Amino acid sequence: MIVLTWAALKSRYRKTFAGFLWVLLNPLIMFSVQAMVFKQFLRINVPNFYVFLLSGLIPWIFLVQTVQMSTPTLVSNAGLMKSFRFHPIVLVGSVVLDNFVNFILSLLILAIPTMLASEVPLERLLYLPLCLLPFLLGTVAISAFTALFNVFFRDTNFVLGFSFAVLFYLTPVFYPLEFIPAHLHWVVDCNPFYQLLRPFQVAITGADLSLFWSVWWRALAWSSGMAIVSVWYWRRKQNAVYFHL
Amino acid sequence: MLSTSTSKTLLKAEALGLDYPIRLYPHHGLRDTFVQLAKAPFDYLTRGQEVLPVIRQVSLELKTGDRLGLLGVNGAGKTTLCRILCGMLKPGKGKLTTHGHVEAIFDTSNGIMPELTGRENAELLVALLGSAGFTPAIVEEALAFSELGVFLDAPFKTYSKGMQARLALSLISATTSDVLILDEVFDGADLFFREKIALRMRQKIERSGAVIFVSHGPEQVLDLCNRVIVMDKGTITFDGAPAAGIDFYRKNSGTLVSH
Repeated sequence: MIVLTWAALKSRYRKTFAGFLWVLLNPLIMFSVQAMVFKQFLRINVPNFYVFLLSGLIPWIFLVQTVQMSTPTLVSNAGLMKSFRFHPIVLVGSVVLDNFVNFILSLLILAIPTMLASEVPLERLLYLPLCLLPFLLGTVAISAFTALFNVFFRDTNFVLGFSFAVLFYLTPVFYPLEFIPAHLHWVVDCNPFYQLLRPFQVAITGADLSLFWSVWWRALAWSSGMAIVSVWYWRRKQNAVYFHL
Repeated sequence: MLSTSTSKTLLKAEALGLDYPIRLYPHHGLRDTFVQLAKAPFDYLTRGQEVLPVIRQVSLELKTGDRLGLLGVNGAGKTTLCRILCGMLKPGKGKLTTHGHVEAIFDTSNGIMPELTGRENAELLVALLGSAGFTPAIVEEALAFSELGVFLDAPFKTYSKGMQARLALSLISATTSDVLILDEVFDGADLFFREKIALRMRQKIERSGAVIFVSHGPEQVLDLCNRVIVMDKGTITFDGAPAAGIDFYRKNSGTLVSH
């Protein structure tokens, strides 16, 4: 999988001029624009808003990009899948890993200076590896599921693109959880994407770190659940996938 | 069967069966499904699963030293059977036991990343197949065997069909797999390379392992195999010596066999 990822990176950047810079540019622009709009225009009053925004936005961008890039992989590699025997999770895994490299680099490159300029101590970044476990598991599970689903319904990615655009407003990324009235908390409680990226927010900007473990376990439960569903779906549909490709 | 009594069973299939659900086919998007559902909701929901049996009651035992030729007209179920044997498809009925590693190749023209060079694609393929014992030395040997020379550093997408076949076949025949399935993959390669690879296969099989060849060319099968299976409408209709098998195939498949 690592070899495949490396090759994907090489293949992608062989003909580009600025290479990795483009990958960094996307989160950088998204972050700058949102930081300006919400902090300067709308004047959202959240302590250390820039760090808070980063801690949710960068994982969100990774999640959305990875799922949308993974969704067509089985269909676009149909020839390969039918030529050799290998587990299709390798294809999804290599997309995830490919994006993951970009994600970690852009997170560190953007977060470290922003944190230094704020009151948030850099030590908070030590929680990152812990946050990554449920987050990556969940990302792989969702990506595998949508990639399989796309074999049967080729319009999956259109629906996903639209859903993510809508979900972004329903996910506390640019506003904190506290802004949501208590009777509407169920909206985020059953938002799997929010559950997955919540540990990042709590670990990096949360005022109360004692919350971390309960949030982390919840993310792990969600991601494990999604992984089980994906495995079940693959087992059920394995033959149909090859018939449809 | 020509396999000796001392040989080891590598693969055993007992009464395999597989149905192809016809209903899977017609709709290719949520919209189509929705249209069908809206047009005739009752029909759509109550319509039973229509199936087409593609593999029926196939029992097969493969032992070390077997060079099995698989003959049959188009649509007889050869490829589907191979896909089941290598684990790509799950059999709907019956039982499949394998001892050792089964490797299969169904098409040689698919580079993993056509932008990358032949050499890089070779490395990727090795990683993708995940075969144990694939040392860099073995890969180098396989690349040398392909005789592609300077073309190895040209992008895979510029390769001709034959060159693609050379690369894939050289690699796949260098694996340490116990059972190797080759589904009509000789067609692209030229005569010289075919002979060369046939020799290599033979040496490999003599060391250990077995090979299944799917082919439409009786001469090729006669040349390479020591056992032949003929398939028709999803079942095995003949299992025995190559010459007799080819005879059986010619007589029973009528005018469909032409070359």
